[in-house]
Amino acid sequence: MRELARAWFDVSTQSFGGGTSTLFMIRRVLVDRWGWITPREFTESWALCQLSPGIHLVALAGLLGRQIAGPRGVLVSVIGLMVPAAIITAILTAGFGQIAQHPLTLAALAGIAPVSGGMAIGLALTTAGAVMQRGRLAIVDVAVIGTAFIFLTASSQLTIAVILAAGIFGALFLGRKRPTSSDAPVS
Amino acid sequence: MPEQLELFFIFLRSSALAVGGLASLPLLRADLVPQYVNDAAIVQALAIGRLGPGPNGLYIVSLGYLVAGWTGALYALVGASLAPLAILPATSLARRWLLSRWFGGLVRGVALGTGGLLLATGVSIVNAGGTQWWQLALVVMTVVVTVNGRLHPAVSIVIGGAVGLTLGR
Repeated sequence: MRELARAWFDVSTQSFGGGTSTLFMIRRVLVDRWGWITPREFTESWALCQLSPGIHLVALAGLLGRQIAGPRGVLVSVIGLMVPAAIITAILTAGFGQIAQHPLTLAALAGIAPVSGGMAIGLALTTAGAVMQRGRLAIVDVAVIGTAFIFLTASSQLTIAVILAAGIFGALFLGRKRPTSSDAPVS
Repeated sequence: MPEQLELFFIFLRSSALAVGGLASLPLLRADLVPQYVNDAAIVQALAIGRLGPGPNGLYIVSLGYLVAGWTGALYALVGASLAPLAILPATSLARRWLLSRWFGGLVRGVALGTGGLLLATGVSIVNAGGTQWWQLALVVMTVVVTVNGRLHPAVSIVIGGAVGLTLGR
């Protein structure tokens, strides 16, 4: 169990830059270095995690942890993945707070804001693109995306209603196949 | 205490209703701006989330810290950690159900809806941050590299900061 905790600590503290590098690190440590999980199990687990709410990598840590060491493995893996990285993130935020109102910081943020907005727009395109149908049926998907866009632009209070409505619409009319590990964005 | 509880449920709900870590952004923005923080805090949290270790979705911890210090960070961490674990009992009890056609459709519908919401959130963040020519150029550059996926996301943040320091004063 100590080795499992150590493995997740390594992943949590060394995977800078977001989901892709974290996923890469998890595979390298659990599959290549320790051999606790086979490449096929890893791929299947990742595909299942595309169906989970929230951060998919947390779901992956839970699934792999359970496979390696049962319920205690879930606890160790999720805490090992999240807590060290969360502490570093909070410390970075606290440090940033000390210089947040400095003119140079404000100037830098004037450049970081459009990058953040661009990332959200880019992520919207990759999230939707991963599950969009091809050909004429794509019109339906674009209509769902456009409707969600219009509703949130009209009122931010409609967010939950839009997600629930899109889910119900999808269950009734968009059932084709579940997303797989190869066509979903990493988060 | 009721306010603390409300804050925790905001973070938990945003993760429970989102498919993917950053997909919680529209929900969080709707619940937290302007009551708790402004759009500048959202930008800060996204930037720190991209520069720090771990999943992209950990921007939620940074946002939690900006809302209520270490307590807020803890709420965000617990909320973001609990929601995805719903997959564990689901895979044990109903693996076949998860592979059903209608469930696949439900996930697709949520993903498409989330795409539209993220698009609207991105546009709002851009509008709030300023729309000078160099900022719009940064938006286009970031959209292209995000969709392309080859450039490390932290590099985009560093480039944005450097351009801001040069042209934003």
